[in-house]
Amino acid sequence: MASSSAARGGPRSLPRLFTRGTLALVLGVYTIYQLGPFLWLATMSLRTTAEISAAPYAWPKPMHFEQFRTAWVDSDFATYFWNSALVVVSAVAVVTLIGAAAAHALARYRFRGNRIIYGILFSSIIFPPQITLISLYQILVDYNLYNSLFGLSLVYISLQLPLTVYLLEGFFARIPQDLFDAAKMDGYGDLEIFWRIVLPVGMPAIATTLILNFIQLWNEFLFAVVLITDPDKRTLPIGIRAFMGDHFQDIGMIATGVMISVIPVIIVYVFFSEKLIRGMTAGAIK
Amino acid sequence: MPDAPTLTTDSGKARAFPRATLADPRRATRLVLAIFLGPGLLVYCGLTAYPAFRTIYDSFFTIEGLDATFVGLANYRDLMGDETFWVAVRNTFVWSFVAPVLDVATGLLLALALYAGVPFARFLRVAWFTPVLLSYVVVAILWMWIYNYDWGVLNVLLRAVGLGDLASSWLGDPKLALGAVIVTHAWKWAGFNMVVCLAAIHSLPKEVLEAADLDNCGWGAKLRYIIIPLLRPTLLSLYILSFIGKMKVFDLVWIMTQGGPLWATETVSTYVYKRAFNWNTFDLGYPSAIATVWFLVVCVSVIILNRVLGSRERLEY
Repeated sequence: MASSSAARGGPRSLPRLFTRGTLALVLGVYTIYQLGPFLWLATMSLRTTAEISAAPYAWPKPMHFEQFRTAWVDSDFATYFWNSALVVVSAVAVVTLIGAAAAHALARYRFRGNRIIYGILFSSIIFPPQITLISLYQILVDYNLYNSLFGLSLVYISLQLPLTVYLLEGFFARIPQDLFDAAKMDGYGDLEIFWRIVLPVGMPAIATTLILNFIQLWNEFLFAVVLITDPDKRTLPIGIRAFMGDHFQDIGMIATGVMISVIPVIIVYVFFSEKLIRGMTAGAIK
Repeated sequence: MPDAPTLTTDSGKARAFPRATLADPRRATRLVLAIFLGPGLLVYCGLTAYPAFRTIYDSFFTIEGLDATFVGLANYRDLMGDETFWVAVRNTFVWSFVAPVLDVATGLLLALALYAGVPFARFLRVAWFTPVLLSYVVVAILWMWIYNYDWGVLNVLLRAVGLGDLASSWLGDPKLALGAVIVTHAWKWAGFNMVVCLAAIHSLPKEVLEAADLDNCGWGAKLRYIIIPLLRPTLLSLYILSFIGKMKVFDLVWIMTQGGPLWATETVSTYVYKRAFNWNTFDLGYPSAIATVWFLVVCVSVIILNRVLGSRERLEY
């Protein structure tokens, strides 16, 4: 691509150079626009509020790494972090397993109602969350699951189920049928086929779904804020917001708390950027 | 797709084995299907379908604590006369119809820039995608600081270039607040649209683009006559996707402005939340009615958009 446009340089190379320069400038500015706020946040997380109010855009010097310790220990961010981790990891594990099982059945077996079940599951992706939010609140109160991390996990499982089934069904349907026929001939039962063929062969897609579900639930706010009020059970997004409500002026500490919530996502992104981008966009391309 | 017939020689072979429980490997007993589909359907029925129906049912009641009084269509009648609701609808519609155009256009332009072969394209793609991964809480807090009147980046820059008069309280002014929140939302999602467009451009037939190059077709013409028409299905599905996202928008608004100032950024989602959990009205029936109406509006809008925009493509989430 690059070579074809460069090869045609010739007499027009000066204006072309100018265009290229403008393009580079625009893209540079745009990159600052997209990345700058986050880097600014990163610098603020290492500075005290006093330093920030003196000069909001200075480099952290000295770097106050102890801010992270303070946020973690004294400002309860450790609690929020582990609550988030517990809820999200358990919900993602369960939703991936039951989603994969459902996706396998829908992709592989012919039975009456197959497409109807798929359609019903799929269409709930467009539902506005409020349609279930108010009733889920009532239901969880009825069953004593309100204000409990277990209840929140259950809700999270239901939130991510349609997307999980949708993504995995698409992938599982492309696994060649020959593989299943051969397995059947070797005497594999239906469950064995799922366990020993679909899951290993589908690992790339399952990994993508895992990462995608992790990010979306890690960032989830609406259901957490409605279903959790106990300070000890807050997840990170609502913990940060509550902290911000109480300490509106303490910008340095808020920035540190925000960084604590972002770091796991960034770590996942550094290692799995391609998988993640593919997963997040899988629904839109086809 | 899974419906493809597989009655090839394999099934003949399978029949030769008496041990094979079923002749057609694409069939399974009810028990097996129940084991695979059961948990998923249980979760779906218990935590999505049942709550959705219950919300619709509740919308005909006034619900205070454990007391539910049947009120018929009274909630819906009140809703028609509820000015705040209509302001919220207006804001959400403005956001949902206008912003996606910007989103898709930016996404396409960015993707084209990367496709044209700028240096560091791989890095830029990953960098631009980063905001998509940040939670709304993080994005909202960041942008509240960016919009801060005294030391926010925006006003600092404006003052630095001598446009200090334009410095405003971006989230505090009813005329500017909605725009400010929309920009923030667009900032978060630009990378998503870019990546989807880029993937779609890369999957375009190479011959067509090369033929255009041979004909000395300029970028403008190439874009107008080749790339955009070929990308039409992708762009439309991005538009609808973006539309759906905006019809649901809650977190960002709730954290940045709580729907204020003076309802300027109120969306239907924030209004439902306020009526259900934030105001001391203690009635869950009325917000259920709003949620029901909005549920229908979203579904109908998506169906209409799908029809009007003529996309034959399956609607993706």
